[in-house]
Amino acid sequence: MLRNLLLLVAVAMPAFSQTSSKIDPVKYTDTTLENGLRVVIAEDHYAPVYAIAVSYKVGSKDERPGRTGFAHLFEHMMFKGSENVGPGEHFYTIFTRGGSMNGTTNTDRTLYFEVLPKNQVDLGLFLEADRMRSLRVTKENLDNQRQAVKEERRLSVDNQPYGQTFEKLDELVYDNFAYHHSVIGSMADLDAASVEDVQQFFRTYYAPNNAVLSLAGDLETKETLAKVKKYFGGIPRQEAPKPVDLAEPKKEGGERRLEVDDKLARVARLDIVYRLPDGASADTRALSVGASILGGGESSRLYQKLVKEKELASSIQCFASGREGPSTFRVTAMVPPGKDPKQLESLISEEIAKFLSEPVTEKELAKTRTAIRRSTLFPRESVLSTAISLADETAVYNDPNRINSEPEKRLAVTADEIEAAAKKYLRNDNRVVVVTKPAAAAGRPAAPKPGN
Amino acid sequence: MKRILSVFLVVLPLGAQGPAAPATQALSGVVRLNKLPISEEVLQVKLPRPVERPLSNGLKLLVVESHRVPNITLQIRIPTGDLRNPPELLGLSDATAALIRLGTKTMNAKAIADRLADLGATLSIGSGQDSGTIFVSAMTENFDGALALLTDVLLNPTFPEDEFVKWKTRTKAQLEQMQSQPGFLANEEMLKVLYPDDSRRYARPTVASLDKMTRNDVVEHYRKFYVPSGQWAGIAGDITPAEAVAKLEKALGGWKGGPVARVSMSLPEPIAEKKVFLIPRPNSVQTYLMVVNRAIGRLNPDYIQCQVMNRVLGAGPSSRLFRNIREEKGYTYGIGSGFASTRVMNYFNASTSVRTEVTEPALAELLREFRDIRDRAVPAAELADARSAIVSGFVLGLESSSAVLSRWMEQREYGLPEDYWDTYSQKVSAVTAEDVQRVAKKYVPAENAQIIAVGDAGKIAELLKKFGPVEDVGAGGK
Repeated sequence: MLRNLLLLVAVAMPAFSQTSSKIDPVKYTDTTLENGLRVVIAEDHYAPVYAIAVSYKVGSKDERPGRTGFAHLFEHMMFKGSENVGPGEHFYTIFTRGGSMNGTTNTDRTLYFEVLPKNQVDLGLFLEADRMRSLRVTKENLDNQRQAVKEERRLSVDNQPYGQTFEKLDELVYDNFAYHHSVIGSMADLDAASVEDVQQFFRTYYAPNNAVLSLAGDLETKETLAKVKKYFGGIPRQEAPKPVDLAEPKKEGGERRLEVDDKLARVARLDIVYRLPDGASADTRALSVGASILGGGESSRLYQKLVKEKELASSIQCFASGREGPSTFRVTAMVPPGKDPKQLESLISEEIAKFLSEPVTEKELAKTRTAIRRSTLFPRESVLSTAISLADETAVYNDPNRINSEPEKRLAVTADEIEAAAKKYLRNDNRVVVVTKPAAAAGRPAAPKPGN
Repeated sequence: MKRILSVFLVVLPLGAQGPAAPATQALSGVVRLNKLPISEEVLQVKLPRPVERPLSNGLKLLVVESHRVPNITLQIRIPTGDLRNPPELLGLSDATAALIRLGTKTMNAKAIADRLADLGATLSIGSGQDSGTIFVSAMTENFDGALALLTDVLLNPTFPEDEFVKWKTRTKAQLEQMQSQPGFLANEEMLKVLYPDDSRRYARPTVASLDKMTRNDVVEHYRKFYVPSGQWAGIAGDITPAEAVAKLEKALGGWKGGPVARVSMSLPEPIAEKKVFLIPRPNSVQTYLMVVNRAIGRLNPDYIQCQVMNRVLGAGPSSRLFRNIREEKGYTYGIGSGFASTRVMNYFNASTSVRTEVTEPALAELLREFRDIRDRAVPAAELADARSAIVSGFVLGLESSSAVLSRWMEQREYGLPEDYWDTYSQKVSAVTAEDVQRVAKKYVPAENAQIIAVGDAGKIAELLKKFGPVEDVGAGGK
């Protein structure tokens, strides 16, 4: 129940060539109830199923020092009961009625979702409304979920090779506390969270006016909206939480570097992260297209040069990670045993330098556009993807129509825009370099014997 | 671009599922107030049927037509597979699958990658255990181009020596990387424990087998096993059966060869003696635990009863293992169990990662749940919920034409009855508490549990002895 928000890509644009299939825009209604709850509904009658998503405008960015990991810990509490729902009854009922559900927290928002057969619309609405209105918090349940979350931290960070690398990267990229600390939080802070903290957090952030509800699937909009009003209409609005300042202080001292000794890793890894402006900015969009030219897939420049030609990396990834606030452009490569991370880094830097000095080709742009067009299909084969996109785009960027407009804008990105954005942001003094190395051989398991 | 599936939609009363659970029934980790507005009806849906067409090269094609999105997905089974590999050449099937798309008579690896990117298409070839699969997916307007590329790759591969050498280097690096994953280490050990006497015990290539493998071995594997061989192929999405046949005849009409005899392996009985296998992983803060034994293959008549039993025991968050060991005890973030049931695999296992300090109570609790489902009849309401989870959830699989196709491929490949999916809900609904207990006793290991633990040996070696004789298998295998 923890995931980073990648740049959300979705749906619909005019045909770019005569042979291209026409992809209709996603149609939806956008209504705000009197209590401030924003409701987005998209009908899709293909299969007798529907999805419901609630995105709350709260994430780890809203946490204060000493309470890191709290937004995510809170997410777990949302499954432990409310006035009319017992602890665990939510997930037990959803799964035993043929549905599926989960929750996920990132820096900017906390998302809950269910997908169910279409005859269970009341069930989904009731469950989401009851916990928005009347979450019940007990010390016992909090202690219980604290354990589950600490186990999640061990699983994803402390017992994982490269687990700490992610945390170190964000600590070096960001100086503002909002994004400086990890979503999963520290063990000490998780231990410190109290029942009062949970109750206060609920009052402040889990209000209808701080959330977006979306539904997609085999529904009638009018009837569904009436049901939404019935279940959610009576939940009182709360004073809007104070917006968090996400701005980063001006960076001094140029490139930041760190070497991490990892006791669990067996091969080295290189991470290079450049700072970008917020996720909705034209420069971040241009560089998300640029990232796919530079390092997306086997035809990309970095893969061809570093994995195939030079064999300095066994795999390489490059992508822009969009957030509500300052975002990032990330290059991650695994270094084969016996190869030098320094040499790999200098060749990546060379490729980045080329990227700054000459425009990408029309052919490279064309293939990226094909990929963007195709990626718009995936949410259209899943009512859950549609519901999640609508809820998240509205919660984070205040615009459900990004499900349609964002792919169009990405298709329109030009070589000049990529070059200009690259010159602005893909500079050495704007980057963080972390090399993760397997810790000294002492304490490492013996190398496997060949064969059996 | 939206069209209602031609499904038969009826809302039926829950019937065989019985009444909703009484408020008083205790479920570990869950408190039910029973105030929810639940529809007590189950949507009965009929899985759309595929059209079946023979191809002149001997393939049998299934077509699931759906115009929801302008995309077409094709899969073709080929008689390669890891179990075809000679013991000294582990990974040969993987090498062939990787190398085949890295060079043809007219295109080098870069040109192939560029062409795929231009088309926005996916072309992957993978080797499973007793077969392999060619997978092609593209938007409708690029599907012909993707098929043409498949034809070239399949019929004119050159297996360039330099690409082969580089593939070996990359694979060795990835093997080294995987050694740091506890789940990978446990899985490797599991196969050795379950199938000690045949090629199923090998999970991966080794440095030695890669060093020994030559380009000629790859070419030989390709010649023998990359042939049509009368297997099943399936196509799903924005295409009619007539178009599908015409396009595949054009693309693969010249693909000849086979037939190749199917891999045949016996499915051994459960191991009788309890044993614990310890894989030391220094600096671990969690223990990865797996409890496993041999169980059933896909064609075993107990298959559906086993699926219902496992819904109660360990499939998903509504199951006992999750509710008890995560929600009630807080020992783990995730836990689950399941059957691996194919023609060549027949095991049941549960696995979880727990913090080192609770290794003992977590393992004890897991085994207690195993014994409980064997020793005590599942309460009626809990059983009804498990059956409902499967029956009501069937409808969720209708959204994707590829998912519908997969179900029909499964029916055809295992020779299941024609009406298998039409009567699936009935079969699930007919499973009784006696059935559940019977298959639990037969296939959920208790006194003969094979336990695999990956973690900090200094802290867990001693306590593991309480669960059976311990064998320290060292890092990376025996």
